[in-house]
Amino acid sequence: MQYWINHNGVQTGPVDLDAIKEMNLTSSAYVWREGLGDWVKITQMPELQGFYEMVNVNAEPQPQQASEPKADGEAVTGLPYQPQQPQINLQPQYAQPQAPAEPCPPTNLVWAIISTVLCCIPTGIVAIIYALKVTNKYREGDIEGAKRASETGAWWCIATIILGIIIQPFLSALPILTASMN
Amino acid sequence: MRRSLIILLVIAALLVFGFIYYALDPIQSGLFPRCGFLTLTGYKCPGCGSQRAIHALLHGDVVAAFKYNALLFISVPWLALCFYAESRRTRNPRLYVRLNAPLLIWLFLAMVLLWWLLRNIFNW
Repeated sequence: MQYWINHNGVQTGPVDLDAIKEMNLTSSAYVWREGLGDWVKITQMPELQGFYEMVNVNAEPQPQQASEPKADGEAVTGLPYQPQQPQINLQPQYAQPQAPAEPCPPTNLVWAIISTVLCCIPTGIVAIIYALKVTNKYREGDIEGAKRASETGAWWCIATIILGIIIQPFLSALPILTASMN
Repeated sequence: MRRSLIILLVIAALLVFGFIYYALDPIQSGLFPRCGFLTLTGYKCPGCGSQRAIHALLHGDVVAAFKYNALLFISVPWLALCFYAESRRTRNPRLYVRLNAPLLIWLFLAMVLLWWLLRNIFNW
């Protein structure tokens, strides 16, 4: 079962139970999963008991009042809180997760840097440029474009690393070859 | 479970590579990978000197390491930070998005290119 979490205004998901266990959630977190009409307080989810720490609810910034499920999320810091429409309670087939924001696809920045700085092949630069493209598209809201850029960038990283490994024996042999020719 | 296995593997790999780079001197040993860019063009790449720098660093010689490759002193800490953010991408999406901000990536790219150019001009 996949869950979406809104904890202090930060949305995460989809995540599974194991991941939720490690998220150090507090009782102020909200949860959504398939079959639920709207976000539900984590304290009201029977299967998530023991997955969060009880805190004084009054001290925590509350994403919404329980009696006002359509609050526009002014209390939420950061990502806008998008509650589901009320008719979803009656029509669960519309309960697709429009609300949870999708996380940024991998930018492969770590591999781009490794392949640029350690593989000594200029194509690593292309991977860095694709990392840039991923974040730019993600910020524009173009998730699909960000995913494509992420994938292309990953291929550039792989190609750079493989090329770096393939040419190594030739590079080691080159000084010996030139020495024997002289 | 899978995560702790990956962390263990990373630590094991770091230890093995750390031992190799401590025990063997890249200047004397022919076992270490060579820079293709330097061999083919005669110009240094941004990563040239990294292996000698790591060897020097493991022997406590920070000054020599800096002379071999100054970029390493910026790229390695940043890489470690990016790696941490990467491992927590779904749990801490904010840190990931912040660390992958276009401005930061541009800055790093500009730094690499500038370092590449300057080290070949001034023979750093």
